[in-house]
Amino acid sequence: MPVDKRQIQELEKAVVDGIELTGDWNRMFAQRPIFDYDTAIMDKITSLEGGESLGWCYQCAQCVGVCPVDIVGGDYGPRKIYRNVQAGVDLFTDPDLWKCTTCMNCLRVCPKNVDMIQIMPAVREEAVMDGQVPEELQQVFENTFEYGNPLGESPRKRAEWTKKASVPVPLMKDKKQADVLWFVECYPSYHPRGIDASVALARVLNLLGVDFAILGPEEKCSCDSQRLAGEKGLFEEFAEQNIRTFKKYRFNQILVTDPHALNALKKEYPKYGGKYQVVHYTTFLAPLLDKLEFKNTLSYKVTFHDPCYLGRHNGEFEAPRQILTALPGVELVEMGRCRQNSFCCGGGGGGMWLDGFMADHVAERLSERRVREAVGTGADVLAVCCPYEVSRFEDAVKSTGNEGKLIVKDIIELVVEALGD
Amino acid sequence: MPSQDILVIGGGPAGLEAARSIADLGYRAILVEKRDRLGGTPDEAGYAALTPDLRNAEEAMNEMIARVQNNPNVELHLGATVVDAKGQAPDFTVTIKNAKESKQVNVGAVIICTGFQHFDPGRETQKYGYYEFPDVITLVDCEKMLKAHRVVRPSTGEPPERVCFIQCVGSRDRRIGNEYCSKVCCGIASKEAIEIKQQLPNAKVFIFYIDMRMYGYWENEIYWPAQEKYKVNYVKGIATEILQRDGKLLVRGEDTTMRRPFEIPMDLVVLSVGMEPSAGTREMAKIFGLKQNKYKFIETIGGALDTVSTTVPGVFAAGACTGPADLEDSISAAGLAAVKAISTVRQAETVKA
Repeated sequence: MPVDKRQIQELEKAVVDGIELTGDWNRMFAQRPIFDYDTAIMDKITSLEGGESLGWCYQCAQCVGVCPVDIVGGDYGPRKIYRNVQAGVDLFTDPDLWKCTTCMNCLRVCPKNVDMIQIMPAVREEAVMDGQVPEELQQVFENTFEYGNPLGESPRKRAEWTKKASVPVPLMKDKKQADVLWFVECYPSYHPRGIDASVALARVLNLLGVDFAILGPEEKCSCDSQRLAGEKGLFEEFAEQNIRTFKKYRFNQILVTDPHALNALKKEYPKYGGKYQVVHYTTFLAPLLDKLEFKNTLSYKVTFHDPCYLGRHNGEFEAPRQILTALPGVELVEMGRCRQNSFCCGGGGGGMWLDGFMADHVAERLSERRVREAVGTGADVLAVCCPYEVSRFEDAVKSTGNEGKLIVKDIIELVVEALGD
Repeated sequence: MPSQDILVIGGGPAGLEAARSIADLGYRAILVEKRDRLGGTPDEAGYAALTPDLRNAEEAMNEMIARVQNNPNVELHLGATVVDAKGQAPDFTVTIKNAKESKQVNVGAVIICTGFQHFDPGRETQKYGYYEFPDVITLVDCEKMLKAHRVVRPSTGEPPERVCFIQCVGSRDRRIGNEYCSKVCCGIASKEAIEIKQQLPNAKVFIFYIDMRMYGYWENEIYWPAQEKYKVNYVKGIATEILQRDGKLLVRGEDTTMRRPFEIPMDLVVLSVGMEPSAGTREMAKIFGLKQNKYKFIETIGGALDTVSTTVPGVFAAGACTGPADLEDSISAAGLAAVKAISTVRQAETVKA
């Protein structure tokens, strides 16, 4: 039976390395935990490609101070993971493996570059191969494999949302070439609140006269979060399919709605031969604001949540703020944790599909903590620009009893609202 | 007429550097060393490699020795000690004694480089059982094994599978009376840990510490490679007890960051012993009437801005006779002491003219 090395073991009879620690030994001391600092797990992790830097931690603990999972009571952070593993905990089978959202706030402050963004996928990949994956996440992997999206929706209906747009949303299949290839991604294609944002963006693109097209059913999930959750194989397969599809068409740049897709296409696809100019919709729109005529005054106090994969991971902090402050009547107020130190919504690195698992390990959801922080600013609107966030934060507004106090809107929805009819 | 010669006492790194500097600047050094060979503690204790760069210690010391041996400006007295001193700057009369005879020399200034001795862990009473368990050794014992390329458990002659270092033995300790940090042991333990891993790649090596004091470049030159490349395990919390059981050592203490006790079997335990003033240092302080600090190191009077002047004008001290010092400190202080000693004898000449 495996011994849980976190728990203090009261042993009647302890044998370590063939030495029995009983009898005389216990005459002087109460029975106490015996550890032998088995280094096998640490050696295994640091020998994985990407896992090397776990062994570099010198316990300064700066990471724990900014780890969102620790902040909500998850008893977590790279420093703690290092020590647990050093003391013999098997991270490959330990719940700690799945708590990390790869939000990167630890790496931002780590003086030794202990890189959880590399370590976590490397260790998780081994666990995935051993079938040691939380059930709900496994289901998402299977959905993605089967349907090309984590929601388990029909791949043929990937462009159904366009029917709700009152403007043309052309398909690449028909146009063959366009200035902008809009990589819509899964949640903006299928999730009701994601569709709201897609419809809004389609309208703004039309208004600006952008020459664009989408892939529709040809588009596959970018799989960035599945990759970070350990499904590298799935990621690679879909990356290759998407790259093959991109090759069929002529375009100058790829526009993405989802910062996770931005991360995949910008940083990972080049490793598989796909090099593109990739731009998040906020970055795309910010310089075009003066071409838009805003008829409505919004009179909102708005606070903005920096998505981990737009801000920390990809360095875009200004464009969303430029858009928000350009909207008539909007007063932008910042939360204490913003920009580089933005607080994770809990959706990254597979967290989007681990809410049930996480509920057993934290005192409150990351999204709930964030909503409380947003409410604390006195804002009427929590503005977001990552498709994971709208649904997460809307749920959290309800569960924290803040319904009626705060509404959650994608930035593009606010843009359309300000444009008027 | 006062002599312009400068007496250097001690033939270790500081003494060798002081004598060489004096000679290079065209003055004469009289170098007295109580052993019958030069090289000081690195030679006597058989250091394998220097900290922090892991340079071969014997080779490095031989290079220093070669610069003073057969140097027309250096008069060597091996197997000799200073037994008496009279006069004051710039006119000291010092008696040097060897096995056969006593000899008086006149010198204008004196540089004391009599160094340190390693803390004797037997004084740690029963804490670590140094004299009880053959497999409990010191950093110095470990150096000898590393130099011989034969790191073994003394009890069996077999290579150890698990080795740990225990830091701060005899340092930072009010009860023992050595309240100071010995400054070099964190670096030396990490350096020896690297060398053990180089010689025994499959050994598991642990370092139990209070704080890792890896100042300046020691951080990235020793500490980081030890942890990152050689996979040395650093555990915050000092073991306080060693017991023997069935041929293994049981090391007990608290793993402070895990907030729980540890009890782990080890094959070899290395005590990171610190520095104390050597017998020669204490003796020279007495002969020259120098003030010593409460730990019996020779007190320097200039604070941070003058690290070599003592309470007696014309008598300077350099290296570990003034307190815990690494090689970099000792060599730097020796050069400074040579300059100040020369300046003492030159001022005397100017006054005379």
